[in-house]
Amino acid sequence: MHVDIETVRRVFEGVLSGAISREQADRWAYAVVRQEETDVVTYSPARERERIWASVMYLYGVDTMKAPGEYLHSDNDISEAMNAKLGEVAYNKAAMPLLVSAPVAVATLSL
Amino acid sequence: MTVDFISGVDVAPSLDDRVDAATERTAFAAVVVQIKQAFPPAFPSQRVSRERLHQIDRVFFGPFFREKYGMGGDRALENDRIRYYGLIEPANDGGELAGRRYVHEFDTMTGCTRGWHETVDRAGNVRQVRPERNDGTTRHYQFDSNGRYRGGW
Repeated sequence: MHVDIETVRRVFEGVLSGAISREQADRWAYAVVRQEETDVVTYSPARERERIWASVMYLYGVDTMKAPGEYLHSDNDISEAMNAKLGEVAYNKAAMPLLVSAPVAVATLSL
Repeated sequence: MTVDFISGVDVAPSLDDRVDAATERTAFAAVVVQIKQAFPPAFPSQRVSRERLHQIDRVFFGPFFREKYGMGGDRALENDRIRYYGLIEPANDGGELAGRRYVHEFDTMTGCTRGWHETVDRAGNVRQVRPERNDGTTRHYQFDSNGRYRGGW
């Protein structure tokens, strides 16, 4: 599986815009965590691995509720988390290192 | 810092490879120092306490899990499991709940792992647990501030 930082950002933005439900974001992140446990996950840019992982771990469980039908996190919480975890990442496709081997799978989110 | 002899380990060089053996002895001593730093020495006849085994488990398995799941700390349990705590992700709603964290539990005897999300209040009490079930569904279990189960959905 391959996870890139722009995909993670799109999941965050999708949740905030309502294009992606929190449950979908949670299951997407869960799939990454499961894959990380059982197989190899590559991250790009590789130097941002820690930020990407922290973001995935935030999205995993983002649908946690404090009462039936009432999410624990507000949109403002999620927005702040996105900025804290991804905000200052200088993403430059031209500078992104090439992957040596072809990824087995790409972490995508199907709607 | 001291380096002690370890009984039963022979590091005496033969006449033919004295130089290589001296190098080996230096490397061996370095390893012993590292191990002694990680695990304080015990007498050979002394049974290793469970607390010490837990300490060894935490040091040994730490590199595998601490970076990924244990940024908020880890704890060895009596049942040979280690729990790794993620950082609390804040919930700023002004209520009694502080946020949630992911907890990852590793069984050092079986190698099995499991995980769940905990919601904690501002006093540090776990008020809700959301485990990951085998069928892929999630369920919330709530507790009051005294730890009494209140119900789930």
